[in-house]
Amino acid sequence: MKRSQRPAVVAVLLALALLLAGCGVVSRPGPAAWDDRAAQALTDAGSEVATARLALESARKGRTWSSYTTVLLAEAEEAAGKVEEDLSRLQVPAGRADAAAHVLDLLGRAVDLVGEARAHAVSGKYDDQALLDQLDRLSDELQQAAP
Amino acid sequence: MKRYFAVLLGILTAIGGFVDIGDLVTNAQVGARFGTSLVGVVALGVVGICVFAEMSGRIAAVSRRATFDLVRERLGPRMGFLNLVGSMLVTLLTFIAEIGGVALALQLVSSLHHLLIVPFVAAAVWLVLWRAKFSSIENVLGLMGLALIGFAVALWQLGPDWGQLVAGVSPAEKPEGEGWATYAYFAVALFGAAMTPYEVFFFSSGGVEERWTSKDIGVMRANVFIGFPLGGLLSVAIAGCAATVFLPAGVAVETLGQVGLPVAVGIGKIGLAVVVLGFFAATFGAACETGLSTGYSLAQYFGFPWGKFVRPKEAAGFHIILLLATVVAAGVLLTGVDPIMVTEISVVFSAIALPLTYFPILVVANDPDYLGEHVNGPVANALGVFYLVVIAVAALAAIPLMAVTSMGQG
Repeated sequence: MKRSQRPAVVAVLLALALLLAGCGVVSRPGPAAWDDRAAQALTDAGSEVATARLALESARKGRTWSSYTTVLLAEAEEAAGKVEEDLSRLQVPAGRADAAAHVLDLLGRAVDLVGEARAHAVSGKYDDQALLDQLDRLSDELQQAAP
Repeated sequence: MKRYFAVLLGILTAIGGFVDIGDLVTNAQVGARFGTSLVGVVALGVVGICVFAEMSGRIAAVSRRATFDLVRERLGPRMGFLNLVGSMLVTLLTFIAEIGGVALALQLVSSLHHLLIVPFVAAAVWLVLWRAKFSSIENVLGLMGLALIGFAVALWQLGPDWGQLVAGVSPAEKPEGEGWATYAYFAVALFGAAMTPYEVFFFSSGGVEERWTSKDIGVMRANVFIGFPLGGLLSVAIAGCAATVFLPAGVAVETLGQVGLPVAVGIGKIGLAVVVLGFFAATFGAACETGLSTGYSLAQYFGFPWGKFVRPKEAAGFHIILLLATVVAAGVLLTGVDPIMVTEISVVFSAIALPLTYFPILVVANDPDYLGEHVNGPVANALGVFYLVVIAVAALAAIPLMAVTSMGQG
């Protein structure tokens, strides 16, 4: 190896090491970064809950057909599940344990409720007003929790 | 009478064929997050595509040769190769996204997972490219694409506050929670979706396929200057529907099913069925256009026979490229990659490749050896240069904005 090439090789190796350091099994964000990720997760979950609410309401009014509603709700359920899974994989920073428990509880409820909506859609039950109200309330809670 | 019919058919197919998966997804995403505050970018992109499509159509009509053919000859093999690589990679990415889009549209009516549908869609696209006449592909799918007018009807039926929608067109009306970097990222994506490179290659190669002459320039201009802006209005209607239904509800658009939901809210099941037919036609039509454009660009650069007007036996290389591109597209989609994510990436990379596509067209359109008396006039040149500056800014900003905003997450 030529002497002049060494700095370039070192730079590439350092970059690779930094890259690998960022690819750990568990991501460990600082408090501010965790807050941002949690807020984004709440916003995303809120979007999925609102989508489920709209899809179910449209189906109840006979404005969509069965397979369309099912696909919409199955995709919303999958996306909400991914949001919860991604946040739960982050190492909670010191001082955020209570906040994390609250956020993860909200996200878990979102996954469960959207899943319930999907189950209703698959079995053709669109007229459950109580479920629509629950989706409404959870959507509001998620919006309020996301700063 | 026949001429008037040809003009009307050309305009209608230009409207119906204007929107593709990139326009559908990006306009709905932008409407849901930014309301109508980015409508100006759609208008900018539509005028831009009109300027360059007219130039490439004029080049095809006068020289009877397609764009890549002339770019290589006029600017040399190096510039031609750069033009080829940049444009073809984006076109292939768009081809993958369009095939995925067809599968997603069929998923909405069958509830089968789109991965099960992809191989059949790919086979159908290849069969159409192999067997169907060029005019049939263009006319049938273009006319079916008019079903997307359902979005305009839905917007009217949703009864939005029109004053608020119009007032929201100003960038100053960007929602407070959204940062300027995210706003700029989506502006670049919208611009890339409107000016995607394959449109001009398909348009000019289509002109050669249909044997345009300088007598056809008038009809071609009518298609471009009436059809494309009306097609652009469909994009605005998609954004308007999303702004009316999703923005107040805090819904972010991530799936094709969500794109159609405002139509269900506005006009119900029949309207939704019409729009889903429009999704199918728009994506299937664009899959054929991007597939053909991949074959056109490679065949024209390397100089072997191409096109639907040549017998498949005589254009074997061209048809092998179409087959390989289709296999690659299906293979990529079968890895499980999300077609919507491929679409999001393709529109941003489209913005990056724009200078490589449009600069050579402007050069060729100014060359009297190819265009004689039909070279660019001062207005076409002024607009062309203005757009090259805009395109260069968008291309330079695309990657940094993509990194800073984590692909628009903010």
